[in-house]
Amino acid sequence: MTALALDIRGISKRYAEHTAVRSLSLAVPTGAVYGLLGPNGAGKTTSIRMILNIIAPDTGTVTLLGRPNTDPGILDHIGYLPEERGLYKKMQVHRVLRFLAELKGVDAKEADRRIHQWMERFDLTTAGKDWGVAKLEELSRGMQQKVQFIGTLIHDPDLVILDEPFSGLDPINAQALKDTVVELKKRGKTVIFSTHLMDNAERLCDSVCIIARGEKVLDGTVSGVKAEHGGNNVALAVGAGGTEVLAKLLADHTMIEKVDDSNRFFEIRLQAGADPQALLRTIIAAGVPVQRFELVQPSLHQIFLEKVGATGVEPGMSGHG
Amino acid sequence: MAKLWVVIKREYLERVRTKWFIIATIFGPLFFGSIMIVPGYISARTVRDSKIGNLRILDATGTGLGARVAAKMAVSKQAIGSSTQVITLSSAALTEAESTATIAVMQKKDQGYLVLDSTTLTRLTARYAGSNASAFGETQAVENAVRQALLQTRLEQAGLDAQRVDSLTKVKVNMSVEKIDEKGRGGSGMASALFGFAIAFLLYFSIIFYGQNIMSGVLDEKTSRVSEVVLSSVGPDTLLAGKILGVGAVGLTQQIAWIGSTALVWKFRAVVMAKLGVPMPAFTLPPISIGMLCLLVAYFVLGFLLYASLFAAVGAISGDQQEARQAAAPVTMMLVAAMVFAQPVMFAPTSTLAKVVSLIPVTAPVIMPLRMSATQVPALEIALSLAGVALACAAAIWASARIYRVGLLMTGKRMSIANMLLILKLGRS
Repeated sequence: MTALALDIRGISKRYAEHTAVRSLSLAVPTGAVYGLLGPNGAGKTTSIRMILNIIAPDTGTVTLLGRPNTDPGILDHIGYLPEERGLYKKMQVHRVLRFLAELKGVDAKEADRRIHQWMERFDLTTAGKDWGVAKLEELSRGMQQKVQFIGTLIHDPDLVILDEPFSGLDPINAQALKDTVVELKKRGKTVIFSTHLMDNAERLCDSVCIIARGEKVLDGTVSGVKAEHGGNNVALAVGAGGTEVLAKLLADHTMIEKVDDSNRFFEIRLQAGADPQALLRTIIAAGVPVQRFELVQPSLHQIFLEKVGATGVEPGMSGHG
Repeated sequence: MAKLWVVIKREYLERVRTKWFIIATIFGPLFFGSIMIVPGYISARTVRDSKIGNLRILDATGTGLGARVAAKMAVSKQAIGSSTQVITLSSAALTEAESTATIAVMQKKDQGYLVLDSTTLTRLTARYAGSNASAFGETQAVENAVRQALLQTRLEQAGLDAQRVDSLTKVKVNMSVEKIDEKGRGGSGMASALFGFAIAFLLYFSIIFYGQNIMSGVLDEKTSRVSEVVLSSVGPDTLLAGKILGVGAVGLTQQIAWIGSTALVWKFRAVVMAKLGVPMPAFTLPPISIGMLCLLVAYFVLGFLLYASLFAAVGAISGDQQEARQAAAPVTMMLVAAMVFAQPVMFAPTSTLAKVVSLIPVTAPVIMPLRMSATQVPALEIALSLAGVALACAAAIWASARIYRVGLLMTGKRMSIANMLLILKLGRS
């Protein structure tokens, strides 16, 4: 096994009207959970399609598990869940899954065995009902998502690429997805997923890369990125009342550089050299009922907003998960 | 190759498992079979069912012609069980007798009456009036009887012995009809033309039906977004090839089933027709040589590939079924044009028009097989036409693969023509 599961060097993709990805380089270590973060339209899906050789980059190279992504058979080791999901609606669930497994080089008999296991695990085959013989269009949306997810993993890939995997998932499936990602990591598999939901990324990823407007903005391990952007950050939570007084205090730019106001929770970035203790004293003196006052590293969300900037984010696109 | 096979297998099995395929495959031959048998059966039934009721013959010829007609009627199949009344009278009494006879028909005592007068023997005319005057089979039977009786009478008047005339005119002939065409022998000219037309129609139908099937398959994969998952495992060229070959195999399966069972029906048609009491039509299939068969298959395969790849490209550039139907119009029109030329070519297979449209690659797959079954086409023309179709086919596959690769991942609006040209030039958008 090579040290890098994915090694991208300087890939670019230009379309007639715009550049989707500009000279992007990435290195994802084997066994890592890697987040590709960026607002919608940043070039995440185009990058993923180039990784999977669905579209060819204009320049640059992609190496998957130590082999060029154009190598015959290399894609058999990759699992892919696209952002826009869909399968053959008129086909029986079992046949769709066997088709996907056979496309990845799994023989029909082995595929059937694995399908049975996965279907049981995701409650699609129970004592009373076998959804395997049902047509896909007869399944609920949640069940279809499960089937698509099984299709991504049925060939036991070494590298799993999930494009916006959490979008549209109900809480139960979202939890199942998280559990599976963790389990894949434990089994030494590499998982790359794109998202614009920073909370998920912060909790799941070992390393991240933020891209905007087709370019890499920063990358590194989550702890490294945070340490690099660490400064005087304070997490503040308050009880009911006193919000008006607090608003005035937080508007003081001599001490405070920036505030992310979530009504009862505030993420505050202090000016360089400002004393957090002084801020705490002032807030208490003003009679604000403080529930939490903690010196913290900036959240990925904060770093994202700071780096990508308001112009790189479409309204409502960068919100918390 | 293994992946191509997986794609072909899916395309094939998912289609042959559908209800419409099973229904069409089973009912197709029944349909073709009924085309062969039903019209004959119905017309035979019509003749057999047309029984003549009571008939009054007003004979003013003075030669006993009425009695002769009655005798002929008596042995006619249609008149069994009916009674014929012969009234011999003078020409002067004819008008009154006709009035009486008309009333009898109006009161439904008689079905009709036949008038034989002085002009019958000289000018060969007779009149029939009855409630069944519009029934072709029935009036035909009366006319036959009159004709036979007249013939007998005239031969006797020419001096032949009555008994001899009777035995001589009781002749039944079964004539088989065979035409000689420029090839010298084999079947009737009409039969080969019809056969050629049937082949052309089968090719046209299969190409358009399965071509559009591919188009909606591509569109389905595109709109359901499943193409992206599949493309992460196989290249677009493999997917396109697998789709065309898989659907092509479905079409071939259906045709083999159809032709096979139609051949069976054909083989046993004598038995079936005899059971139904239908006379065997004098229709023989023109002989098909192995070489001819190979050429037919070649035209079908190349024609199918040509149109299937065009239809696939149409599916790839369209955003939904409605757009696809519009975008498919130019492709469909080329095929329809071929069918429009089919009739003139069938009747004049050696004309300049026939030569030209059998050389144009988009019409050749339908027209050339038609021409070949209608006439002896020079080998050079066949070679030229085949080469043209093969070239067009290669060009269509090349262009479609390029458009398909880009179109498959496109969402939203239909691809513009300018965009398509750019893709053809650069191989990407």
